[in-house]
Amino acid sequence: MAKFNLFSEDSNKSPLARLWRKFKNNHPALVGLWVFIAFSLLAATAPFLAPYGVNQQHSDALLLPPSWNEMGDVRFILGTDDLGRDVLSRLMNGATYTFGLSVVAALITTVIGVLVGTFAGISKGIRSSFLNHLLDVTLSIPSLLLAIIIIAILGPGLMNTVWAIILALLPQFIHSIRNLIVDELGKDYVTAYRLDGASKWHILSRGIFPNVYEYIVVIFTMALSTAILDIAALGFLKLGAQPPTTEWGAILAENLGLIYLAPWTVALPGVLLFLAVLSTNLVGDGLRKVLQARKAD
Amino acid sequence: MQLLDIRNLTIELQTSETAIRAVDRVSFSLKEGEVHALVGESGSGKSLIAKAIVGVLNERWVITADRMHWRGVDLMRLTPEQRRKTVSQDIAMIYQDPSRCLDPTAKIFNQIAETLPEVAAKGFFLKRNRERKDRVKALIHKVGIKNHEAVLDSYPHELSEGVCQKVMIAMAIARTPKLLIADEPTTALESTTRAQVFRLLKSLNQLKNMSILMISHELEEIVNWSHGIHVLYCGQMVEAGPTHRIFSQPRHPYTQALLKSLPDYEHGLAHKEPFYALKGTIPTLQHLPIGCRLGPRCPQAQKECVVAPKLSKHHGHSYACHFPLIKEIK
Amino acid sequence: MILDYILRRLGLLFFMVLLLSIFTFSLSYLFPGDPLSNLSGIPDTNFTQNAQLEEKYLFNSNYFMQYIAFVGRILQGDWGMSFASGGSVFAHVIDLIPATLELSIYALVISVVVGVPVGILASAYNKQWPDKFISSTAMIGYSMPIFWLALLLIMVFSLQLGWFPMSGRVSLLYEIPASTGFILLDILLADFPYNGLAMLDALHHLTLPTIVLAMYPTTVLVRFTRESMLKVMDQNFIKTARAKGLTRGQLIIHHALRNALLPVIKQIGLQFSTLITLAMITEVIFSWPGIGRWLIDSIYQRDYPAIQGGLMAVSLFIIIATIMAELTYTLLDPLSRNQAHGKV
Repeated sequence: MAKFNLFSEDSNKSPLARLWRKFKNNHPALVGLWVFIAFSLLAATAPFLAPYGVNQQHSDALLLPPSWNEMGDVRFILGTDDLGRDVLSRLMNGATYTFGLSVVAALITTVIGVLVGTFAGISKGIRSSFLNHLLDVTLSIPSLLLAIIIIAILGPGLMNTVWAIILALLPQFIHSIRNLIVDELGKDYVTAYRLDGASKWHILSRGIFPNVYEYIVVIFTMALSTAILDIAALGFLKLGAQPPTTEWGAILAENLGLIYLAPWTVALPGVLLFLAVLSTNLVGDGLRKVLQARKAD
Repeated sequence: MQLLDIRNLTIELQTSETAIRAVDRVSFSLKEGEVHALVGESGSGKSLIAKAIVGVLNERWVITADRMHWRGVDLMRLTPEQRRKTVSQDIAMIYQDPSRCLDPTAKIFNQIAETLPEVAAKGFFLKRNRERKDRVKALIHKVGIKNHEAVLDSYPHELSEGVCQKVMIAMAIARTPKLLIADEPTTALESTTRAQVFRLLKSLNQLKNMSILMISHELEEIVNWSHGIHVLYCGQMVEAGPTHRIFSQPRHPYTQALLKSLPDYEHGLAHKEPFYALKGTIPTLQHLPIGCRLGPRCPQAQKECVVAPKLSKHHGHSYACHFPLIKEIK
Repeated sequence: MILDYILRRLGLLFFMVLLLSIFTFSLSYLFPGDPLSNLSGIPDTNFTQNAQLEEKYLFNSNYFMQYIAFVGRILQGDWGMSFASGGSVFAHVIDLIPATLELSIYALVISVVVGVPVGILASAYNKQWPDKFISSTAMIGYSMPIFWLALLLIMVFSLQLGWFPMSGRVSLLYEIPASTGFILLDILLADFPYNGLAMLDALHHLTLPTIVLAMYPTTVLVRFTRESMLKVMDQNFIKTARAKGLTRGQLIIHHALRNALLPVIKQIGLQFSTLITLAMITEVIFSWPGIGRWLIDSIYQRDYPAIQGGLMAVSLFIIIATIMAELTYTLLDPLSRNQAHGKV
């Protein structure tokens, strides 16, 4: 039964509005977006919201299980570790490190990547082919390996990890951006612009960029999920954040010895990691699907 | 016997708000050995009708008709499986973009061999292979490709559009269908290849008594060899009848406009003379006019045109217009 | 035409190996500590040793000559001495690579054998519940951090249920002579009274690490195959073939599969490099004696020659695997053969 339509006007919404509408209909992606926003807020406000200090030890409450367990205590909702530190506070602070730093790393990668990728995309001739060959070489080495190498040179530590991640994400990013720009440059409207006499800057800013920025967001989410996994992996391998920094991977590595006695100290950081990566992937995937559907419309 | 008998075919698109009528009560029929042309601008729904007959339309389109008979069998009552069988035996279709309709990773030989009706089960593997090869070769020669070795051994992206279209015709006639539906087969081709394809289709019609339903938007091509024409405008049937009659005495203003817009190369054109065309453009699906859809553009439209005109028949020549062009016989 | 393309690809391979060697060479200078000891692996050299080394490594000439000497040594098999063990780095590498390779190959095989058919299945039931189920499972597996998955599996299967062991390749009870380095082959080749038991034991040890390693590539392949199939089924020539009267089964097997699997093959090739990196983490968790664990241990211990050697070995493998996968893809795809001379 068709809805009764009083006004026979067509809805003519902007592409962005149509995108949001379609995105809203994709329920998993919307849930992912909420979780993502929740994590971002947590990363920003954790130091103020956490009930206890990160290194505050409670010698009377060692190895307490989470509060839903019969031996747990409501004071420490997610339990404590072997030094009596509250797991909840540590994990909340960890959001700032793992999630927050990953976002920072991904943003910096985006800025540099867009600049270099655009430059690579619009250049022609020997310069371009040399750059492309160089990119292809760096592309064949996976990002985690590159990060490990850079850590090996710079030495372990959290800030070094961030630099390492940025440098490791850049090749893939530049490659994707470059392909994007080259594809877009091949389209007819760019030729029309050029025939009209537009300058390179004009074509880029008015023509290509508005059409491309949504895809850049998708690539950003993919880079972000890789960054979260890599920072956590490096933390886990004790090559990144060093204890007592509360980065989630480092917490996991620290509590490995407790895996038999206190499995929650190992399971919980992993759950948070998983949720962070899952939400990012859901958002990125949803965005990609919506862009495809909108193109087909 | 009537091969194809269609009456009041309506194809609607179900959107979330309303149903858009893309094709509005079109009727036509086809006899054996006839060449029939469906003429209309792009957007008039001609391809939709062809796809509805063959049965490859999306589920979004709703098809209703009083009658849609193929050799007496009601196509709409068949299950999809039965329909597929009936259609694949007797009806073949060729499309507008031939190279995109061929599998890019399969050689031409294999694609043609796939459409051959089953080779007799006797004989060895080798003998069957031989027979298959011979039949494919014969088909390729029949459509006018001389160097079959090179063509059969290549992939679709290595061949030109004209050769691809001939290959598609070869695949279409492999099962000797009774009806060949040609959906704008020559739009993507150059003029010399166009002439070749038309000659081929014409010879197929004359020698093999194969009916052809030709869908096109160029009038000049089909004038010479079609028996009947149906003119469509925006999903509505505007005029139909034998070709020569339509050309000499068009009754509908749209047909007349079409004929007038053909440039007259014989008598020469004046320097910088503008071509004739009806003002305006074909309406979009979202904003279809009520009644006669030519109304807003028609030079003779009046108040009565708000109601869709009924089809009037006159000596096999039917037209739907409130104010047809009837010449006074003096 | 094809020969031309192969030559270009080999040229690219050579170029990449060259860059890799330059990078590894420069690592000796980038790493903290004395470059000479980094290169040779002998710490705290005394004066005469220093002089000898300087001569051998052409230390007194410019960087280019040193690099040439470096390449010469690499090709001869002298990769320096490990700080930690004192043994030849090259010997370590040769010793440990088969373990990593074995794990990676089994994981890759599992991911292809499971991932591709599941992806095809998901695309056949598009928008119905099998597709939704498979897609969500793949998304969950794709987002899971590999070390967490490993720990979870260890917690459940090793500690609680005790079904699988949690470290090592084979129980210490069995002494398998190492001939090929691939444990399953070695067991088969060895003349051993307890062959069957040893095999079972080795398989037990292999199970958890292989499952952990195979998770990520499998989910990637499921998603990718599904998308590729959907894209192909949407194309014009499939609709034409359907109008020609082919049944759905014939359509999928004869036309759709071939077109859809080509990009999937390319993707399988790309997965190999991610696989080796993930293998490194898996090896650390399961104490699997492979080159990944050795490399990470060397980083902890600041064993620079070992790091150089391990890095070179791993990167070399990845480059070779990537190029080979690309070559296979090009040989199979008729379309890209034509474009072979257009771009590299």
